[in-house]
Amino acid sequence: MVIDTHVRPALYGPICADKGVFEKRCREMNYHLMSPAPIELLKKQYALADISHVFLLPEDCSAETLTPSISNEDIFSLTALDPELFWGFASVDPRKETAAAQLRRAFTEYGLVGLYLNTARLHMFPDDERLTPLYELCRELDKPIVFQAGFCLETNALAKFCRPMDFEPVVNRYPTVNMCLAHVGWPWVQETAALLLKYPNLYTNTALMSFDGPGQLYRKVFLEDMGELWVEHNIADQVMFGSDSPRIRPVRSKRGLDSLNFSRETLEKIYYRNALRFLKKEG
Amino acid sequence: MNFRLREVSVCADREFEMIKITDQVRSYVAECGIANGIVYVITEHTTTGITVNESLPCVEKDLMGVLDRLAPEDYPYFHNHYLPSYGTIGGNTPGHIKSLLTGNHCVFPVVDGKIKLGAAADIYFCEYDGIKNRKYMIYVMGE
Repeated sequence: MVIDTHVRPALYGPICADKGVFEKRCREMNYHLMSPAPIELLKKQYALADISHVFLLPEDCSAETLTPSISNEDIFSLTALDPELFWGFASVDPRKETAAAQLRRAFTEYGLVGLYLNTARLHMFPDDERLTPLYELCRELDKPIVFQAGFCLETNALAKFCRPMDFEPVVNRYPTVNMCLAHVGWPWVQETAALLLKYPNLYTNTALMSFDGPGQLYRKVFLEDMGELWVEHNIADQVMFGSDSPRIRPVRSKRGLDSLNFSRETLEKIYYRNALRFLKKEG
Repeated sequence: MNFRLREVSVCADREFEMIKITDQVRSYVAECGIANGIVYVITEHTTTGITVNESLPCVEKDLMGVLDRLAPEDYPYFHNHYLPSYGTIGGNTPGHIKSLLTGNHCVFPVVDGKIKLGAAADIYFCEYDGIKNRKYMIYVMGE
């Protein structure tokens, strides 16, 4: 079993019917020259990588973009197509007064399983007071948070708002809330590793498509930027598989991770056990 | 001279797969109304191929195995990098190389309304970068 913890459903056919909406989303999220994909094709691609569950991550910077790139309603409509396969996250723009109410609705009415925030796009640091009501709501309702961390390829995204160490006050303040610094906080990999060493409620994922192919990049990050035994000996319980699709097809991302020759026990943790624990399902 | 074109959709079940399409080509040649001429089968994509070979599982395995050795997945290709024009990683150079080696089309005579194939010949659509929705063309020219 594999759980893909980092999929942006920007190209999912059912939410691409409106060409103008689709093109706006692609401009904002920096996807180009690609066509919408039908759900049945995506399911075949996931099956090819043994993926049985997918975190669908939205994008709401609507104070800037007027409408969310991928809304909670989009996510809800996709999860309704296959609730077993698709586990949807919520996103709100904290610059709007209605943000906390919208997030509560996404959790309680849409059944979304966690919060996704991209502070690079929001242009606010992780400990910005405008985010506090959202963090409090996640604590109240016991929902995990996936943060964009490190460099972000999206339009008008500034990495200075996503440095891993800047998340420490939040991770420290909410020890009962599971949080994920996505992308290993690349390029600040060692900052992310240091935080993982200290905070058991902190996770990361392998959604790392920037330089090179997945095999080369994973070797650089997990065996060179990190000591070659750091994952196996220290943070095996906090790394989750994430493909970063659609920047790469999941089967390629998984092939790259397989090439690192981690132990079977560690791969099981990365591929699904840690994600289940992150969601407090089991693991 | 008459010209008939059909686009056919195809989707592999695996990442790399030889899909036999002889029957689809034969059927279209029979129904398109051209008695004598030429039929071309052409893929629309740059990480797929069209080829002709004997339809035996062992032969298919050998052909795909040789292509894998010629264009391995883990070679440090120039194309394995972030492509700003797509916003994605270009990780499919093996597919491009295999497409080059296979070619994008095949051609056969049409005689008395039928495609003329050798006894052991089958036509294949080769997927080297799946799983994707693909198309190939059957183009018949003649009288």
